[in-house]
Amino acid sequence: MTSRSVFDQFSERVTRGLARFSSRRSVLGAMGTAAVAQAFPLLPVARAAETSLTEFELKAQTKDPLRCDYWRHCAIDGVLCGCCGGGIHSCPPGSQPSPVSWIGTCRNPDDGKSYVIAYRDCCGRTTCQAPESCDCNTADRELPIYRPQNSNDIIWCFGTASQRYHCSTAALIGSAD
Amino acid sequence: MRVPARKTVGLLAVCAALSSGAVSYAARAEEVTAETEYTEKLPVMGAHWTLVATDNNAYTLYDGDKGKILGTVPADFEANLAVSSDRHTYYVATTMWTRGDHGDREDFLQAYDARTLDLTKEIAIPARALSVFKQQSLGLSNDGHWAYVFDMTPTTRVSVVDLHSGKVATDIDIPGCALEFPWAKGGFSSLCGDGSLTNVAYDGGTPKITHSHPFFDANEAPVFEQSPSDTKNGIAYFITYDGKVFETKLGPDAQPAASWGLTEAAGMKPAGRGVQEMTWRPGGSEPFAFNAAQHRLYVLMHVGNYWTHKDPAKQVWVFDTQAHKLVNRIDLPEVARAISVSQDASPQIYAVSGSNHDAGKLIVVDTVTGKVLHSLEAGARPMSVVAGM
Repeated sequence: MTSRSVFDQFSERVTRGLARFSSRRSVLGAMGTAAVAQAFPLLPVARAAETSLTEFELKAQTKDPLRCDYWRHCAIDGVLCGCCGGGIHSCPPGSQPSPVSWIGTCRNPDDGKSYVIAYRDCCGRTTCQAPESCDCNTADRELPIYRPQNSNDIIWCFGTASQRYHCSTAALIGSAD
Repeated sequence: MRVPARKTVGLLAVCAALSSGAVSYAARAEEVTAETEYTEKLPVMGAHWTLVATDNNAYTLYDGDKGKILGTVPADFEANLAVSSDRHTYYVATTMWTRGDHGDREDFLQAYDARTLDLTKEIAIPARALSVFKQQSLGLSNDGHWAYVFDMTPTTRVSVVDLHSGKVATDIDIPGCALEFPWAKGGFSSLCGDGSLTNVAYDGGTPKITHSHPFFDANEAPVFEQSPSDTKNGIAYFITYDGKVFETKLGPDAQPAASWGLTEAAGMKPAGRGVQEMTWRPGGSEPFAFNAAQHRLYVLMHVGNYWTHKDPAKQVWVFDTQAHKLVNRIDLPEVARAISVSQDASPQIYAVSGSNHDAGKLIVVDTVTGKVLHSLEAGARPMSVVAGM
């Protein structure tokens, strides 16, 4: 499908770009405006230098990735794949990772630094029925659907065999500082 | 076999008893009319009826006065529902795969007769946007001619469906923009990532597209996707994460009026954007509802810091959108994440309880007395729809 491959390419560009340039917010902002002004007006880079911490950041922990307050889950919306037979960046058996994702910028309380997190959905199976404690909906710097790269309400199963939503992961893709 | 006389008497007694029993059964059968099975029909949609997204992949129709289920409208994965302005038809935009979780994807706009709940029309549409429930993903024109379905592949479009011919009339690209807010007539507007509106004039023929000036900061204080509308008059109330309300008459020249603040309307200082600034803020999955006849805006309000725009709330604040004043605060018996409000002169609030994605109760509240009329185990998801929204 043409649209799929185009979006795959776009996604790769965004992700690689973020990893490479994420410490330079102004460059990203300019790139975002210039390069993809129509589709995605600004790239999702964090206000990592904020001096005060959000409620989530104040309570975030680094030990248990199966809880909603795990530091990488600052802007996740869905069932944690780790509770469903998958992991923090792996899909449960039978499901497929989405090649694209929404992006959050989360602070690791151990080193005080911020990192770019790709919240990829696992797709192609009906929704995982994990305990309620694995069902998260956090919203640090989360934006509406007209800013899709920062929106966690979207079913991100684009480019997978089936767009059925199964669960969500939180892969580390780079530094945001 | 020879039957002993004693036994013969006994058998006769049994036969007599049986035959007298048969007679009495027959006599009773004459008195009772056998029931026939039939299917109920509904009257015209009542002012206090609401359709609630529920666990069983459906919208369940409730009578808010009686607290009873009236019927069920099927709806699959993240389906949206809209009620026609004449209340005769429920439209459902839905998505299915031929083999459950795989196979060919099929997207449909389905029409259900509001009195029989019979499926009357099924129109194939392009792949619609799949996201958490948003009323603004499916809209209808007041004249009953057009349906607007928001698509995301992930480029964004709106498919305009001709409800008279039962076909998709056109797909309109809205790059960098999303959702649809119908005008009073002849078009819709979409919210854009640069803080502006894209306005699409379409009533058949060639679409004409215009853009408003940017009026909000999409990075720091975006407009809620779930911002409510007075659909009859084509007026949207665009509300930002920090509680500013931009009343906007939608049309080709849509330009938002000067904003007013939710907390200022309550006599409080403006809600800032501080991540450690605890104050009253709007939030939830469907945090807003609007009663057009009374010019009342209903908002789920909670106390929190900035970026708590998804938090549920235990209070509904009621604002006069003409005077820009808070006129009532209604306590809910438990936290809720979605509300709608009936459009009559004695409005009811339909609130979906709970947080995150768990199934919630449907709580019916009388806005005049503030009394909770019903709290129903509904398996409710955060979306309820009323007529005239």
